[in-house]
Amino acid sequence: MDIELSADDLKFREEVREFLDSHAHKPGDDYAKWRLDWFQAAREKGGWDVPKWPQKFGGPGWSPTQHYIWEQETARANLPWDLPFGVGMVAPIIMSYGNEEQQERFLPDIRARTVNWCQGYSEPGAGSDLASLKTKAELSDDGKHYVVNGSKIWTTMAHIADWIFCLTRTDASGKKQEGITFLLFPMKQDGIEVKPIITLGGSHTVNTVHFTDVKVPVENRIGEEGKGWTYAKGLLAHERTGLAGVSRSLVALEKLKHQATTVKRGNGTLLEDPSFRSKLARLEVDLQALEFTELRSLARAASGQQPGPESSILKLKGTEIQQRIAHLTMEAAGPHMAPWGGVEAGPKFARGGTQSYLGSRAYTIYGGASEVQKDIIAKNVLGIRTQGGSN
Amino acid sequence: MNFDLTEEQQLLEDSVARFVADKYPLEARRKLAEGERGYAEEQWQAFAELGWLAVPFSEEDGGIGGGPVEAMVVMEQFGRGLVLEPYLPTVILGGGVLRRTLTGERRGELLGRLIEGRLQLAFAHGEEQARWDLNDVVSSAREDGDGWVINGHKTVVYNGGNADLLIVSARTSGGQMDTDGLSLFLVDPKTDGVKVRGYPTVDGLRAAEVTLKDVRVDGSDLLGAAGEAWPVIEAVADDAVLALCAEALGGLDIMVKDTVQYTQERQQFGHPMSDFQTVQHRLVEMFMEYEQCKSLVYRATMEYAQNGHEAARTLSACKHLIGTAGKFIGETAVQLHGGMGVTEELRLGHFFKRQLVIESQFGNADFHLEKFAA
Repeated sequence: MDIELSADDLKFREEVREFLDSHAHKPGDDYAKWRLDWFQAAREKGGWDVPKWPQKFGGPGWSPTQHYIWEQETARANLPWDLPFGVGMVAPIIMSYGNEEQQERFLPDIRARTVNWCQGYSEPGAGSDLASLKTKAELSDDGKHYVVNGSKIWTTMAHIADWIFCLTRTDASGKKQEGITFLLFPMKQDGIEVKPIITLGGSHTVNTVHFTDVKVPVENRIGEEGKGWTYAKGLLAHERTGLAGVSRSLVALEKLKHQATTVKRGNGTLLEDPSFRSKLARLEVDLQALEFTELRSLARAASGQQPGPESSILKLKGTEIQQRIAHLTMEAAGPHMAPWGGVEAGPKFARGGTQSYLGSRAYTIYGGASEVQKDIIAKNVLGIRTQGGSN
Repeated sequence: MNFDLTEEQQLLEDSVARFVADKYPLEARRKLAEGERGYAEEQWQAFAELGWLAVPFSEEDGGIGGGPVEAMVVMEQFGRGLVLEPYLPTVILGGGVLRRTLTGERRGELLGRLIEGRLQLAFAHGEEQARWDLNDVVSSAREDGDGWVINGHKTVVYNGGNADLLIVSARTSGGQMDTDGLSLFLVDPKTDGVKVRGYPTVDGLRAAEVTLKDVRVDGSDLLGAAGEAWPVIEAVADDAVLALCAEALGGLDIMVKDTVQYTQERQQFGHPMSDFQTVQHRLVEMFMEYEQCKSLVYRATMEYAQNGHEAARTLSACKHLIGTAGKFIGETAVQLHGGMGVTEELRLGHFFKRQLVIESQFGNADFHLEKFAA
């Protein structure tokens, strides 16, 4: 057992720090220009703009340890905004299951961050039970295009997206996991209606999307008809590192500790308040453990082994910890958690804290609710066989 | 031992429940919250006509002589509708101070206006550094001729922007944390030097930051004796804790029942969600927490009715349990509603937000557990 970083890893960490420092956004920089320049500069470092892409497609080919160092260092930095749907989600599917023509057509714009994507998975009747989705795609008589009808829900950023990757039903006769087809199509066209859903934080990020006779050329189908479920599941397996958000949580916890020193409590500060202090400490204990759960998982991946049972708990524990940090931050604001909409009242960190907490409630719902994750662990990791349930 | 309401109390509960069912569907509430005052003036008038504004005042004052049980009955029903009208700031807190301090003609005049629905009040007591310590006050008032000059900043003052009169606490002697030396003043927000900056809160209510710079008030605006306001402040805070717990209880019941219903309707994996045992057990846990809260709200109300401030420890127990159970029930309800739980579309989310804010008023779960254990 050895937890020391190698000399090469330490050198890499220095290089990352230097890059992040020298490309940080400076006051006065035009944001949009800085953003694209940043990705360009990262690209010139040898694929740092797409850390998780395989080398074949321009990725940096980092070791798991290097990925971990990148997560740690970038958690502290102010990176340009980047939606996960393009580079992180649809691109790996196009790389694994798309044909060469599709790869040439879609990947460059995705990598340049010039085209925004959204994900058409959940439906009003298909949430945790995603495979029961009903959005219908019918092949035209001449076999040249699909006609898509149906509705998606919780579609993040659909209102600014240029393209959608969408799970559709092409066959309803067999098992529900069969007959699902993976289609790509532009969002700005007749027959697509996007309606906002306002979430508890008061913001508009998710939408419902309705399709009425939307024509999608067959060239936009990824892989084979009816195999979409396999491809989508492949994506879920793609993301391994960073799943638990350990680095970001460590940074958030540090910030919270500092904030707690600015809140007066009796004759001391909130950080000295025994019950607050013990909740913070408990969070830190859990994070220390989770950091090593992630490292165990990484070490295994580094030696080319299949992910071990420990990796299955990363999302569950990670999101739970993120929610607890958000809650404690709101609690630290005391009576000032109530003023709404950026109102100046009480400590500065109180502004937006309640909104973050409300937003954090969705962490254990989207991308596979925690209940479903537990079902999957029970089945795949503990090897429990049942008659009912979701698996 | 008897947990039944009297006939009068039952009538009161029924009438508030009817009002809530009638006037507080989610859409109606949303419109009110977005309006200029954040509540309906005509509904406040209806409160006056129905006698709800008279509840805690004695019959000599034109009230109905209700106590903690009546306050609990009203607030629990308000909690079931997320009622926006400022009953807590005006009747319980403001009215609570006035009925404990005013004398003579002014008592008759102001309590009369309050009961008739022509007076809005706000209790401007909390300060930024105080968090929930009621005795931590740095705002000050010094005697000046036959009046007083007040300086200070009061934070998250509910109903502050709509109040015709503010009740401001200030230190007339003693150190920052002393219980002695606190005084209460009636301040017209239109007085020179008073600045009221109103804003909405997370739960759709209204609050304000109130700053007072060399604000001059008359000697007759001092409520009670100078330096001796502590027992009054403690008493209205006790009233408020109980009122908030009762309000929370009403909301918790709705959240539990909505979740029981939703999980029976929502189909996933070819079953209603409530078929899954993990869901059933969590529904039962929510229900158990709710029943425990109900018991402690009853206990606190009855002990407070009997023993007044001596029941403070039970009030703290109650606020603690409401805080922890509220978090558990709220978060579990949202989780079991899935995506729908985190939208503005279902009433659940609005109830959840009110629970969070109740936890931030007059001391959170930790604060009251500490008081309980002390």
